[in-house]
Order: sequence, then C-alpha cells, then structure tokens
Amino acid sequence: MKKIKRFLIYLFLSIAAIVSIFPFLWMLISMTNKSVDVTGGRLIPGSHFLENLRNLFATVEIGTALMNSFIIAIITTILTLLIGSLAGYGFEIYRTKGKDMIFNILLLSMMIPFAAIMIPLYRFFGQVSSVAPAIGIDTLAAAILPTIITAFFIFFFRQNTKMFAKDLVEAGRIDGLSELGIFFRIYLPTMKTTYAAAAIIAFMNSWNNYLWPLVVLQSPENQTIPLLISNLGAGYTPDYGVIMTAIVIATLPTALVFFLMQRHFVAGMMGSVKG
Amino acid sequence: MGKKIWLFIVVLLTTFLLAACGGGNSEESSSGDASETTADGATKIVAWAWDPNFNIAALNLASENYNGDTEIELEVIENAQDDIVQKLNTGLSSGTMKGMPNLVLIEDQRAQSFLQSYPDAFYPIGDYFNPEDFADYKLAPTSLEGEQYGLPFDTGATGFFYRTDYLEEAGYTHDDLVDLTWAEFVEIAKDVKEQTGHAMLALDPNDLGILRIMMQTTGTWYTTEDGTINLADNEPLKRALEHYKELMDNDLVKLVSDWSQYLAAFNSGDVASVPAGNWIAPSIEAEESQSGLWAVAPIPRLDMEGAVNASNHGGSSWYVLNIDGKEAAAEFLGNTFGSNVDFYQSLLTDVGAIGTYIPASEGDAYQFENEFFGGQKVIYDISQWMEEIPQVDYGMNTYGIEDIISAELQQYLNGKSLEDMLADAQAQAEAQFK
Repeated sequence: MKKIKRFLIYLFLSIAAIVSIFPFLWMLISMTNKSVDVTGGRLIPGSHFLENLRNLFATVEIGTALMNSFIIAIITTILTLLIGSLAGYGFEIYRTKGKDMIFNILLLSMMIPFAAIMIPLYRFFGQVSSVAPAIGIDTLAAAILPTIITAFFIFFFRQNTKMFAKDLVEAGRIDGLSELGIFFRIYLPTMKTTYAAAAIIAFMNSWNNYLWPLVVLQSPENQTIPLLISNLGAGYTPDYGVIMTAIVIATLPTALVFFLMQRHFVAGMMGSVKG
Repeated sequence: MGKKIWLFIVVLLTTFLLAACGGGNSEESSSGDASETTADGATKIVAWAWDPNFNIAALNLASENYNGDTEIELEVIENAQDDIVQKLNTGLSSGTMKGMPNLVLIEDQRAQSFLQSYPDAFYPIGDYFNPEDFADYKLAPTSLEGEQYGLPFDTGATGFFYRTDYLEEAGYTHDDLVDLTWAEFVEIAKDVKEQTGHAMLALDPNDLGILRIMMQTTGTWYTTEDGTINLADNEPLKRALEHYKELMDNDLVKLVSDWSQYLAAFNSGDVASVPAGNWIAPSIEAEESQSGLWAVAPIPRLDMEGAVNASNHGGSSWYVLNIDGKEAAAEFLGNTFGSNVDFYQSLLTDVGAIGTYIPASEGDAYQFENEFFGGQKVIYDISQWMEEIPQVDYGMNTYGIEDIISAELQQYLNGKSLEDMLADAQAQAEAQFK
C-alpha cells in the first residue's frame, strides 16, 4: 500500500516535471532545427545550430543588445537593493508618526498598472530631453530611472527586517556606530539571503522588462534583448530557428543568476535569518 | 476601516490625475528632434518599420535609388508592428514629439485611427506624388478629409493558393478554380475532403481575416463610409459568416492557434489551399520540396450583385510625421515609392514586394515565371487582380469590432441564430465605439 502511494506520488511529480521542463527542452531542440522543422513540431535535434547562430549574428546586433540589457539590469539591481533595503529598514526600525499610513499609500501604489503612468512618464522624459539630453528619451538612463524602485521591494525588505534582531541596532548605537554604520556594518551582512532573493527578482524583472524600454528606447544601439527578440518574430516569414537561438542566449544570464543564488533565494523567500 | 477607504480614494484620485495629465495639452507639441543635419550637409531621416526582409529591405533599396535634390541620409529602425503602434500611441498622446521618427509604416486598417486621433501629428504629402497613379482601394485608408497623408506601399491583393496535386485528385483543373464564388469554394472543399482526406484550409479562430477577404469582394466593411457600425444589416457579412460556419460544421478546416501553426499547416502538406494576401507566397515557397505543386487562382467572390474576384488582406503605407525634416522625408517618398518605375522592378526582384504603383506593373520584372508555381506569372496575375480590388473605408475600429465578432462567432457556431448574433454584436459595438 505504501509502495503504491509512493509510486503515485513519484508518477505525479514526474509528469509535473516533464510538463515544466518540456518548453525548455523544445527551445533547445528547436535551436538546432530549420524554421520549417520548428513549425512542423520536430522533436529531434537537427544540424542547423551553427547556421542559425550565423544568421542570428548576421541579421541583428545581439552583442550590443546583450550589453545594454546587462548595463540596465545590473545598475537597476544595485540601486533597487540599496534604496529598497534602506527604505524597508527605515520603515521597520525607526518610529515616526504617520509611518504606517505612508507605508499603506506606498502599498496601494502597487495597484496602479504601469500602462496608466506610461504616457505622463514619457511626456516627463520628453521635457527632460530638452534640458538634459543625457538622461532624456532614447538613453539607457531613461530606461533605468523609473524602474529602480517599486513599492514591492520596500515591502519585501520591511517584511524581512521584521526578523532582524533589533537588539543589534541598540548594541551598535551603544558601541558608537553611526546610523548608516549600523545599516552597512551590521544589517547588511546579516541580511545576505534577503539581498540575494531581492537581487534575483530585481535582475529578472529588469532583464525581462519590455514595455518601458520599448517606448523610451528608439535607436538600435540602445536596444535591449527582449526588444530584439520581438523584432525577430515580427517578419511576415519569421525564422523560428534563429528566434529560438536568440531566446536561448537571452535565457542563459537569468538561468545563471538563478542557479548561482538558488540556495539563498529559497532561504530569502522563506524569510529565515541567521543572526 | 474608514481610514482605509479614505486612503483608497486618495490613491484613486492620484492615479486618475496622473493618467489625465498625459492626455491634455497636446496643442503644445514641441517640434521633434528626429531630423538633424549630418556633418556632410545631408538631412537625416529616421524611419520606423517592421520586417527586415520586406519593408526594411524596401526602404534601404529606396534609399539607394533616391536621386532628389535634397541630400538625405536614411536611418531605418526596426520594430515589430505591434511595438510601433504602442510607441506611436504613447509618443503622440503624450503630446511631446520627442523621439518620434520622420517616416513610419502603418498598416492600412489602423491608419484612420491614427489620422483621426492625432490630427496634427501627420504631414499631408499629396503634393509630392500623384495619388491617381496608385491602386484605387489604397486611397481611402490613407487619406482624411481630402488630404492625402499616406503614400501607398505594398498590396495585400489576395490569391487562392492551392495544391494542384490535391485538387487534381479531387477532380478539379485550374480552369475549374478560376472565378469561383465562396459557395462553390465550400462545395469543392467538401470534394477535397472526401477524395483526399485533407482539410481545405487552415484558420485561426482569433483571426477573422477570411471574413474581411470575403466581405471586401463586394466593397463592404464592418463600418460604412460615414463611420456607422454596420453589422446587423450587413448582407455580405451574413453570407461570409454562413460560409464560415459551413466550412467549420463540415470539418473542412484545420484549426490552428497561432501564426507558426498556420504556416505549418500548409508547409507540412496538411491543407489543400491558402486563400490569403499575396505576401503569404514566400512562406509557401519556404517548403522547397513542394515546388511545382502549387498554383494560384483569383480569390473567390461572394455570390452577390457587384462582387468581384479580387480582395485585399493586409498591406501598409508610409506616413510622414509633422516634425522638422518633414519636407525632406516627403521628397524622399515622392522621388522613390511615388514615381520611380525602375525602382519598383528592383523592389520586386530583390525584395519580392509588390507595390500598388500601377505604372510599375508594365515592367519586365512583373513577367517573371515562377517555377515553384508551375511556371505561372504569379506577380503579373496578382497585379492585375490588384487593380480590381473594391475600395472600402476601413474606419477607426476594425480590430475592436472584430474582437466583438470573434466572441459572438463562437456562439453562432454553437447554434445561436445569425440574426441574433449580429444584432448583439451591433449593440455591443455601438456601446463601445460611439
């Protein structure tokens, strides 16, 4: 009886695993096939990988796009972590009148869809362009600035700070550390797992961000990876082999970041803190 | 509790204000910065288009063929069509013309919504070429209130592409397939299914292109010329829907859910025909093993007074934005797409694009005998059908209305009566697009 139960559990898990892994497998197989075979649903690896790769590099500037995506994602991630953790820490540690009300307003701002603020934001950057073209429309800075902090990360850090032993702050103060010193020397090292989890989420969000970069970045030399892939699929006769190759290349960095930080990610999401 | 509601109202108001700021003040549209003069004195023109093998290749070719007075340096920026629509809508409704291009490609069925929503954003270019040189049906969608805003580009002239081997097996020759009605098409589809086991065509239930193709053979659309929504009493649409249902009910259609499956349906040899815009031809030719097995006949017509065996499916035109550099951009279009017959010959041989410039169809390139289609002069045939396409005014909301019909269509297929279905669709559309 126990064996049957075990068997059923494993059967269910195996099916679930196949269902989740299959799209990735198909992506990897399609990368090696001709476009006609991809649309035909061919499940056997083919011999067109090098040709697809050559075509990809011949038709689009994938190197530039990767570079742009990296610059945007890395800067966004660093700023998100810094600002988000400072704000979350502040909200939890310090006592101020009206703190919770401000926090609630912040949380409600999570409900405003980006599409609703996109047009005023574009108008704003249009005006910025006339004064400071270096951070105006069609610059990487314009793609980064509106995305560096969202209420979600402040909330995330505040929730995790609840687990942080507040005695450490008192101890730091008694030992004569400045408030920033306490944050950087005591808080930051003990909250590594939270930072790791937030880093993964921030990096992935930024890497996959589509709508705002699409609207604000115009020149090909500022293009990011999701925009490039969208363009590849836009032809009347798209080459699906090439598209799959580009998607695999675009997936690698996020996969890498995730696997490197996977352990911290799980720990961080569970909210456990060693300290 | 009361406090939370109060907070909620504050946020709602803020959202509303933020969203509202975007819409207003469009009269203060500052001049854009897309155009600038380069070091060697040439005017720089920025163009947005999609599909590197087609539209963008055409632009680059035009740039090589340009021989006007103003020195021009063209920069083409590639974006997917939906992305261009998104970017244009955001940029134009924000009221700042910053970051907007000089030239942009817009699909004909969307053009009116741009021209009417952003009246001052586009530059009239009727003085830079002769609109009468272009296929009639292209002029209504590209103009507004007597002003010509778009320069017509590619044709979506349709063809009835079919597998000669399957149709022969079912007992039909090319002559049997010329100048059909859609009713005859359905009967042939039944024979093909019976004799060969193949479905006649592939359809994506979310894409009602086939209904538009049928409707336009009679020169009607979802809306009338004055913009009134025309569904409930639209006789051609009724006929088209009846044919659609008959095809579905008799299992003559292979259902697909996206573009790649649609392509696969004929590349794999599953379906016997593809009634679609001529731009589908390169996708058919992609399966080299089927060379010689295809031919193309005129698109079937609806069995009604005044219907012709010609229709349209897709197609786009070039527009000039009303920002610095507009004269140079208009001159560029007029000099190339607007008047150069030789350019259209290389456009056809190098890019495979069939323009809507009528004088071009007398050129040599149009006489090419395509071996893939058994030596048929496919391009020449299509350019002849193109001249017959009935003109319709696509109006503002083609795709919006189609979403409504799409939902209603499923109920019709499940047994709702045609009259009820169209009356409901009409009521919904009127409520949504007053």
